[in-house]
Formats: sequence, C-alpha cells, structure tokens
Amino acid sequence: MNALLLLNSLEGFFFGSGKAHVVTGVALIILAGIAVSLWRMDRRLSQLEKESRSDKS
Amino acid sequence: MKGSWNWFWKGGSVLLLTYVVVRGFCTPLQPGLVSATPSQLSVAPQVVDLVAVGQPFATSEDLPASFDVVLRSGDQLIRTDVVAITPHSVRIQIDVPPTMPSRALDAYLFTPASGTLFLGNACFVEDAAKGDVPPEFSASAPDPQEPDLGFSFPYQPNIMESIRNLLWHVPMWFAMFFIMGLGFVASLAQLRTDSIGWDMRAEAAVKTGLVFGLLGLATGSLWARWTWGAWWVSDPQLNGALVTVLLYSGYLVLRSAMGDDDRVGRLAAVYNVFAFVMLVILLMVLPRYTESLHPGKDGNPGFNSYDLDNSLRAVFYPAVIGWGALCYWMYTLRLRMNRCAHHLLSR
Amino acid sequence: MGQTLHTLRTAGTVARLEWQLEWRQGHQLAAVGLFAIASVYVAFQASDQHTGAAAWTAMLWLVHLFSGFTAIGRLFDRERSNVRRYLQWSAEPLGLMLGKLFHAVLTTTALTAVVLGAFLLFLGWPQGIESPGKPGLLVLGAWLGGLSMTTTLVFVSAVASQVRNGSGALAAVLGLPLLLPQLILATRLTRGALSDEPWVMLVEYPVFLGALGAGTATIACILFPYIWRA
Repeated sequence: MNALLLLNSLEGFFFGSGKAHVVTGVALIILAGIAVSLWRMDRRLSQLEKESRSDKS
Repeated sequence: MKGSWNWFWKGGSVLLLTYVVVRGFCTPLQPGLVSATPSQLSVAPQVVDLVAVGQPFATSEDLPASFDVVLRSGDQLIRTDVVAITPHSVRIQIDVPPTMPSRALDAYLFTPASGTLFLGNACFVEDAAKGDVPPEFSASAPDPQEPDLGFSFPYQPNIMESIRNLLWHVPMWFAMFFIMGLGFVASLAQLRTDSIGWDMRAEAAVKTGLVFGLLGLATGSLWARWTWGAWWVSDPQLNGALVTVLLYSGYLVLRSAMGDDDRVGRLAAVYNVFAFVMLVILLMVLPRYTESLHPGKDGNPGFNSYDLDNSLRAVFYPAVIGWGALCYWMYTLRLRMNRCAHHLLSR
Repeated sequence: MGQTLHTLRTAGTVARLEWQLEWRQGHQLAAVGLFAIASVYVAFQASDQHTGAAAWTAMLWLVHLFSGFTAIGRLFDRERSNVRRYLQWSAEPLGLMLGKLFHAVLTTTALTAVVLGAFLLFLGWPQGIESPGKPGLLVLGAWLGGLSMTTTLVFVSAVASQVRNGSGALAAVLGLPLLLPQLILATRLTRGALSDEPWVMLVEYPVFLGALGAGTATIACILFPYIWRA
C-alpha cells in the first residue's frame, strides 16, 4: 500500500513509468463498473423470467 | 433494413472501442524531462543526471556528441558538456559559474530524434552571486530541430502517461450528457402526451446515465489523486459532476418514494426537466465564474484550448463516439427489459 | 388580457390567504425564527467569537439554508386537507404558484433579516474584520442568495407535496442538490464582500444570483400546472 501512495517521486505503483498505471486503474474501474451494471440487469432479467414461468403454469 | 442498421451501429461501436483501446495503449508518448539529480548545485564543476520518461529519446548507439544541453538562468544560457546518455537519461558535466541573473536554472535538452525537451526549474544554485554569466561559462542556443515524431501522444508535465485517460475518463461525461439529454427530451414528450412509453424511456436514460456519471466520478477521483495530489479538489467541473449525480439520484429517490402511484410518470418528468435545465446552467455557466484546474479554462468548459494535437484527436473523437454508442446500447437494453417487466406485471 | 387579470387576482387571493394563515397559526412563523436564532446561538457557542471569515461564511449559509428548508419546505402541504382540495379544484395553477412564490419571497426577506441580525448580535463580524468593506453587498448577497434558494425550494416543495407519505425528507433529498449552484455563488459573494476585493470584481455574482432566482421561478411556473391536478 505504501508503494501505491508514494507521492512526489517516480517510484511507487501509480508513479512508476510516468503514471502509466493510473491509466490501468481508470480502465479497470470502467470495465468493473460496466460489468456490475450488466450483472444487475442480468439478475433483474432472471427474476422476470421466473415470474413469467410461474405465470404460465 | 432496421436489422442491418442495428448490426451496423452496435458492431461499429465495438470496432471503434477496440481501435481506441489498442491505439490508446500502443501509441508511444513523446519523451519529456521529469527531474534532475542532484537538483541543488553549488559553484563548482559537477555532474548532473537529467531523467526522462516516455518514448526513449536516445538509442544505445547514439553518441553523446549528437546531444546538447544548455541551462538557462534568467535570459542567459550556461554551457554544459554531455558525458553519457542512456535511452531515458542524460548525464552532463557542468561548471557552475559564480555569478548568474537567477539562481533557478531551466534545462533544455536538444536531441536529434525527439526535438527539444524542456524542464523548468531543474536545478537551484545556492551560493551563486547575482550578476551576468561570465563569457567563458556562457553558451549560444543551438539551432532548434523539428524532427518528425510520428504518431505519438504529447508529453505534458505532471500528466505524463496518464494523458491516455483522456480516452477513458472524458468520454464517460460526454456519454452521460448525451443520454441525459435523451432523457430530457423523453420527459418533455412525456409531459405532452402523458404516455407510459416516454416515461420508461426517461427512466432508462437516467439509470444508464447515472452508471456513466458514477464511473466518471470514480475515474476522475483516481486521476486527480496522482496529478493534483488529492482525491477531491474544489473545482467547478467537480462540483458540477457531483451535483449531477446527486440530482439524478434524487430522481430515482422520487420514483421509488412514489411507488406504484399512477402520477409517478408525470411528476418524475417534471423533476427531470427542472433538473436538466439546472444541470445545463451549472455545467455551462458556473465554470465561467470560477477558476478551474481542468483544461479548457478561461471561461470555456469545452476542450478547445486543450492542446489536443492531431494524434490525440484521431483517437479521442472515435472514443467519444464509441463510448456514446455503447451507452446508447446499454440504454436500449434497459428500456427493453423495463418494457418486458411492465408487460408482465400488467397482465 | 382577462386571463392575465384573473391569474393575478388568484395570485393576490392566495398570497393574502397564506398571510392570514401564517398569522392565525403563529407558531409556524415563530418556529422558523426560533430555529434560526437557536442555530446561530449553537454556532456562537461552538466558535466562541474567534471565527475566521471562511467558517463564518459557512455557518451563515448553513443556518440560512436549513432555516429556508424549515420555512418553505412544507409550503404546499400545510393547509388542512379540505382547504387543499378546494384550492386544487378552484384555483388556477399559475395564479396559485405566483401567490405562493410571492409569499415565499416575503418570508425569505424576513428570514434573511432575522438570520443576519442574529449573526451580528451573537457572533459579530469574523475575527480580524472590524467591519466589512462592503456591508451593502453582504446584505444584498444574503438576500438574493436566499431568494434564489427560495424559488427552487417552492418548486421542490410542490413536487414533494404530491407524494403520499413522507414529504419532509423527500424535499431535502430533492432540494439539496438543486440548491448547490446558488449556494456556491452565494458563499463566494459573501467571502468577497468580507474581503477587500474591489466592488467591481464582485458585481457579476449578485446579477447571476438574481438571474438564477428569476429563471428557476419561471421554470417552476411553467412546470407547475403539470403537477397540480395531476
């Protein structure tokens, strides 16, 4: 964690190689966010499917 | 006809985003100087290392003789000798003059392949007297070279490699604004026609837009921590972004508080129209009245004055279109899901 | 022409009714005043008269904001339900809205006077400031900031009153984010009026605050017919 938070030098995870890892972090956040929202829609759809099945029977 | 159009834009958004991700990560960053060690000098001959990041500015075969470094004090130049180079650093031998106009020195590195690299306030000389640089220490400026850097992203101090975030973080806000605008139009139509269809469109738009708004906040916060030094700063754009997310959370709270009241569509539409107008005021007008850390300041909330060079532009515009199309896709999915739910529940 | 006159007459009647209601149920007005003064007194106790300009401004606007919420937040559901039903079917929506807005403006003016007065009485000026460079601008800013908050609050209160059960908390959730632009401008104006910044640099803040208040009032009037009688 210490390495992640190092400020004012070119050491530390997010500062190493000219802050390239900040981009990695940002990209991961976005992919994770979209995945979470898809997962929530998936859950809602499963629920709807269950309801429609129980309606028919 | 409609089917092929669907294939076209959905496939197009995926292709565009693939292009953006590949180009965004593979395009090299132009080199830039980040630091000098040691940065505290005294009046004596000594050795200093200048450190660079980005694309290598030198290859291992390059000779020190083809590089040139001068230090600037005030409006006068000080001579140095390049003794060794590696792809990401250059070692110079400098004879610090006893008198100079300013104790803070800027460094200029002239390279054959990458042009001129600049580092402001690179070194500080503690014990120099004020005065002109003696002629035996001074240098004349070499001819500036303008090499062809090829397809590469511009180096900016402090931002460095994270300039690639422009292709991730910024389109989130564009996409959110686009989809919220769609929700606004749907709400206006809802007020005119009072139909459930427009209400469902507005709701789906707000929910999708909120996902993108939250992602914009989270990514912006991470980026701010490593460029401005804090997770959150007081800045008109940030205030606007936070208020946007809060406003639309209010919309969802209003909807859930109404429950299955049949006036929910109309009331939510009224709130949405009011919120969007407020949002436009906030995001367009407020930054003009306060300073901003964001680029494109001086009263312009857009990106015109950001030095988007042509390479960045060639990836940034596809990124905006690609993320916008993906956002619209997510919106249509949610809308269709809500339609099914409505259909099922009203049977 | 006749329509306009009718609207204005409705507005006048509603404003007068509100006024009478306010005096008949004196406890509501007293409650707001008490809330304002008590919160200023809490601020005074906590700060012990050694408050810098930043904290002073923050406390002023927090007190102003929450007093405004108390005063205006329930503007649309305090009539007894039969009066409300009567208004709903007889009064013209635009006239009703204008009447309520007028009443809210009067209330806010009084509230600004109470809050500022209590602040000067208990806390005095912030530490290090004998008297502010621009007291007129300070008072104008407090009043205009209050007004532009009030027009938004009236709208939010109208929306929240349409929701069965629990409109108090709902008004806060819907209202606070909508009030942030006004608050950002108002706090900056107050800080500027306390500092020695030249007058001309600050002139755009009151102008913009006034425009924001007028703009939100206009949108509220346009949208109100859609929620009333919904």
